[in-house]
Parts: sequence; structure tokens; C-alpha cells
Amino acid sequence: MRSGGVPVARRQLLAEPAKLLVALAAVAAAVALVLLLSGLRRGLGEQVTTYLDRQPPVLVGQAGARDFLSQVSVLPPDMVAQVARVPGVADAAPITEGYAMFSLHDKRVLALLVGYDPGRRGGPWQLAAGRRPASANELVLDRVLADEHGLSVGSTLRFRGTNLRIVGLSSGTSGFMTPLAFSTRATANALNELPDTATFLLVTPERGIAPEELVRRIERRVSGVSASLRDRLAANDRDLFVGAWSGPLLAMVLIAAAVAVLVIAITVYSATRDRSREYATLKAIGLGHTALLRLVGVQAGVLAVSGTALGVVLAAAATRGGTELAPKYLIVVTASDIAWMGVASLLFALVAGLAPARYLANLDPATAFRR
Amino acid sequence: MTALQFSSSVPLARRQLLARRGRTLAGVIGIAVALLLVLALKAIFAGMEGRLTAFIDGTGADVIVAQEGVTTMHMTQSALAADAMAAIARVPGVASAQGIIYKGAFVETGPNGRSGIVGLVGGGPVPDLVEGRPPRPGEIVLDRALANQLGVDEGAVVQVLGTRLRVSGQVEGTAAITGSFAFVARATLEQIVNAPNVVSYALVRARPGTDADELAIRINQDVTGVTASTRASFARSERSVVGDMSTDIVRAMILIGFVIGVAVAGLVAYSQTLAQQRDYGVLRALGLSARRALSLVLVQVATLVLAGFVLALGLVGLLALVLPMLSPTLVLSIRMEDVLQAASVAGAVALAAALIPVLHVVRVEPASVFRRTS
Repeated sequence: MRSGGVPVARRQLLAEPAKLLVALAAVAAAVALVLLLSGLRRGLGEQVTTYLDRQPPVLVGQAGARDFLSQVSVLPPDMVAQVARVPGVADAAPITEGYAMFSLHDKRVLALLVGYDPGRRGGPWQLAAGRRPASANELVLDRVLADEHGLSVGSTLRFRGTNLRIVGLSSGTSGFMTPLAFSTRATANALNELPDTATFLLVTPERGIAPEELVRRIERRVSGVSASLRDRLAANDRDLFVGAWSGPLLAMVLIAAAVAVLVIAITVYSATRDRSREYATLKAIGLGHTALLRLVGVQAGVLAVSGTALGVVLAAAATRGGTELAPKYLIVVTASDIAWMGVASLLFALVAGLAPARYLANLDPATAFRR
Repeated sequence: MTALQFSSSVPLARRQLLARRGRTLAGVIGIAVALLLVLALKAIFAGMEGRLTAFIDGTGADVIVAQEGVTTMHMTQSALAADAMAAIARVPGVASAQGIIYKGAFVETGPNGRSGIVGLVGGGPVPDLVEGRPPRPGEIVLDRALANQLGVDEGAVVQVLGTRLRVSGQVEGTAAITGSFAFVARATLEQIVNAPNVVSYALVRARPGTDADELAIRINQDVTGVTASTRASFARSERSVVGDMSTDIVRAMILIGFVIGVAVAGLVAYSQTLAQQRDYGVLRALGLSARRALSLVLVQVATLVLAGFVLALGLVGLLALVLPMLSPTLVLSIRMEDVLQAASVAGAVALAAALIPVLHVVRVEPASVFRRTS
């Protein structure tokens, strides 16, 4: 008998639809979990550089500054002027940025407060409501953060002994760790008791000047400062943040992957063992060993591929739902993640399906006729 | 032999579980891994909390004063001007008020060398100094974990914001995955950050007989623009930073752990029930009541989940032992409240997972044993 004539694999899979559904759901849930967790890990890295990604290609900080977010940098006013005079600098906009640990509803909420000079670079790039800060103690807050805590334009936020009045809400500035808030530089400096200083300069090169060349020029001509490419600083920030959270998140991804492997293995192995009588029947009516293995392999493969496809759909739905319900979290699922997960689940399903190969090889066709 | 005697004297649940050892074991491991998601994450965050307050706990200060509204140190900015420091020192009951500067910074071994992020403290005590001496101007004390990571020892030169500093000693127990503490003289840090006469916090010691709570209240009343907290209260607030920032992630992991646990336990229990359908038919034909059959399923699921829970506890204990050996910054702390929370998740998993096979077993008829199954 040729197995190719009868769609045995399909019939066996569809013989018990409820069981097939449970198996597919289990594989899909495991795949979706891995995709979501690894997507969350990647999203965390992308969110950290939300501010830097929209700034000019060169930043200047205090000598030794190699990180934008987590490191102190103080530039006195004379250094700001010196950098602005370097040939090739079209604009050097000073900002004073630093972590802001807000206390909202008795919870600590971390944000990045950026103080900039009104009319210059460094402020919010998109407003969802209100206007930009123009005078002392005015604040623009990320819209998602404001919504979470019931704040709106006109609300007042007590921060470091100062009442900050919210005059605008920004969009495209949310983040799990570093949502953005904006004030004038004078306000930020007053909070730090460091008048007229800046933490960084956002440097725009003149047309035709390569950012790398400008970095070299600034470092040569101005002592006491560090000029860096924006992308270099962003990479360092990402390394630091994702590095710190990477351990726990990677551990979670690995545990999730282990669960996925286990679920796929249990599902396929159980299905293979449960069909032993059917396989014995097929052997009894002439199905060869290789054909039997192929049959099991096809079933395992179909389960893995269908489960993965369903898992991708689930992950996409969860990502969309997550964006609606908790917009501060960014989940970035890439095609390579999906491809890796597909290959891995197929591999594990095949191994799990073919693990009982010896059992199948030794399966006595006569068992089909036993009660 | 009556049916009742049969069902109560034979360890049916155990025999059914052990009939397919591989599947049972896989189920137990799956549930354990799901619960491990919850336990490990909580233990990681609890470990971080302990490390965060290592410096605060070691200052010996009775009261910590910061800029108004500030009750934390990590990822926090606080600025106290000289007049605020003078006002604090004048409050009755204050024996001493020592200003410290706290800033985030990188310690580097050279322009292209290794680096590590630190909470750099200028001034104040250097707790848990295990080697060398406190820093003098131009010197720095590093945490041993960071010193090992950078490959530097006492006498070596490192850089902080372009300033060269000689390592004068090492402390222990401040390194977490978010960074460690490093200590310099206050004048050194003032020079590095170009900010003389502005400190971040004041470490206040009370005169003998003055209660710390009372002193904190007095400082808050007498000095404007500051927030004074007892050391214990400040440390509690610092620990809550981790909790507040990780709440959503922990909740998500608990939900995920629950879903996976239910999926794995439910899948295993369902597969076993299907495989044992004939057994249940035989048992029902021999007089096993539907109620007893249901309890049999429940006992099996509960056993699977309990074994998974115990295995998860063992695994997280093992991780707590092994991980710090591999990475001194990764400390796991297993707290009873977290274990109880995982146990409640396990209980919920058992209940939810049992529903699937229970519905199936209810429908098994005693007569089914006399039918061919395939």
C-alpha cells in the first residue's frame, strides 16, 4: 500500500479536531510568548534613544562624556560660546537634561527632563495639546504619561520644591523607562542650582561638513569638552539600558523558549504515542518504516508551522492590543525573529515527533489487532 | 470487594501518573519553568532592591535631607545650596550635617578601555571598605566587582569624566545590574562637575537623646526647600523605586507564568485523561463514582502542579546560588511573600488546568470500556 494515495497525515490530524486545536493553541501560545518577550527587549532599546534620534548628528558634553542619559555633564557658559565659534558649526543649541524622578500617586515615575532655550533646537517635536514652554516653571509632558496619571494642560506638578505648570502635551515621546518632559533651560538649571550651565550642546554642522570631521575639529579646538556622534551616544545609551535590563529579560526569553520547546515536544510526542495503534494498523497493511517516519514528520511539521503561524498572529494581535492598552511599552517583532522561531519550532517538533522513531520501528503490527 | 473499597485502597492517581513517566515528568518540568518565570523575576528585583540601599544603610546617618520632594537617590537629581546646609546644621538636635554629592558617571580604564557605570559619591562615609583606605583628593574607591570587571587594583589609575583618579581602596556589596557605587573626596567631585557649594544630600546625625523621626519632622518644619527622611524611611523609598518601575513587568510575567502553567498543566492532564479514557471507563464499570473520578483527576493535576512548584523553588534556589558566582552584580533574593505569591499562582494554575480534563472525565460512560476504541 502506498501512503501517498490516501491523505493519512491529514486525516489523522483532523480526526480529533479538539485535540488538534489544543495542540495548536499550546504551540501558538509558546511561540507568541517568545516573540513578545524578545520584541519587548528590542523595543526597550529603541525607546531609550527616542530623544537622541531626533537631534542633530553631533553632541558636545563635558570632557569624558560618553553617554547621554546616565552620566553627569556640566558645561559652563564660556565653553558653550567656544564650541559655537568652531568653524563648521552651523548651530550649537545648549540643553540641560537629566533624570526626573516624579512622584505621582505615591509612585516613583522616571522621566527625562530636557530644558532647552525656546526657539532653538532640543524641544518637543510634536505637540498633542497646548503649547511649548516659554517661561519659568512651564512644562510639556509626554501625553501617555500625563494620561496615565490624569494630568492635562493646566495641571500643576510639584517637582523638587517647584510647582511646574503643564502648558502642553507632547506625542511620540513615551517610553517605559524614559518618557520625556520639556521645560526651558532656565527652569531646569534653577532646579539644579546651576544657573547658565548646559549638560550638552546639540551641534548642527554647516552644509558640506561631515559630522566626523566636526567632532575632530571641536575636540582639537576646545579643551574640557567631548564631542560625539549622536549615533555613538545612542548606541552607548542603548547598551547601558538594555544591558542592565537585558539579564532579566533575556532570562525570561530563555525560559519562555524552554517552555515553547517543552510544549511543542509534549504535544508532538503525545500525539505520536497516542496514535500508536493507528500506526500499527498502517504497518500491518504494508506501510514501510521510512514512510511511517515521513508520516510522523509531516504531522509534526504541519503542527509546528501552523502553530508558529498562529503564534505570529497572536503576537501581532497582542502587540496591537498592548499599544492601545499600555502605549508606553514598545514591542518590536522583526521578520528575523519570526523566521528564527519558525525554524526552531519546526526543528523541535521534528525531534519530538521522531524521538519515538525507535518505538515506531519496533512497533509490532499485530498490536493493531489486540484490544 | 466493593467498589468503594477498591477505589480507596488502590493508589490510582499515583499509578496513573506513573504509567507514563515521560509525559508526567515533562508536565512537571513545564509547570516548574512557568512558575520559575514568576519566582526568578521577583527574586532578581528583590536582589536589586537590597543592593540599591547598601550605601544608604551604611552611611550611619539618622536623617537624610534632600531637595524638597526628593526621597530617592538612584536616577534622581537633588541640589542643596550652601544656605540650606547651614540652615540644616542650625536645627536643634542636629549633631552634624555632612553634605555629599551624588552623580551618575562612568569609570574608565582609558580612552578605549573598559568602563562601568557608577553612582559616584563625593564626601561622606565609605561603608564596607574591604581593602585600602578612604579616598583623598585625586583618589577613588571602587566596588570590588567593578574593579575586577575593569581589571584594576589598588594604585591603578582610572578616569572619570576625563579626570584621572588613583584607586585607593575597594568596597563590597554595592554592585547591582544597574551599576555600583564609587567614592571620591567631595572636593574632587566638585571639581569634576564644575559645581562648587552645591551638594546633593545632607547626612545628618542626631544629638544623643534626639529621636530620628522627631529630628526629621523638625528639619522639615524649620528649613524651607528640603525634605528630611529618617534613614529607614529613605531606604524604603529607594527600594520602592525598583518596585514602582517593575510593577507592570512583574504583573505581565505573573500573567504569562499563569497562562503557560495552565497551558502546560492542562495539556498534560488532558493528554493523560485522553490516554486513560479506557481506564476511566473500566473504573466506572467497576463502580467508581463520577465524583470519585473527578477527584482522581483533580489529585493528578494538583500533584503535577505541586511537584512543579517544588521543582521551581529548587531551581530558583539553585539560580540564587549559581548566578552570583557567574556575575557578582546579579543577586537573587528569595522572599517569603514572593514564594507565597508563586504558590497562589500555582493554585490558580491547578484549578484552571483541571477544568479541561474534568469536563472530559464527566462524560466518560462505564459502557465505553466494552467498545473498541480504534
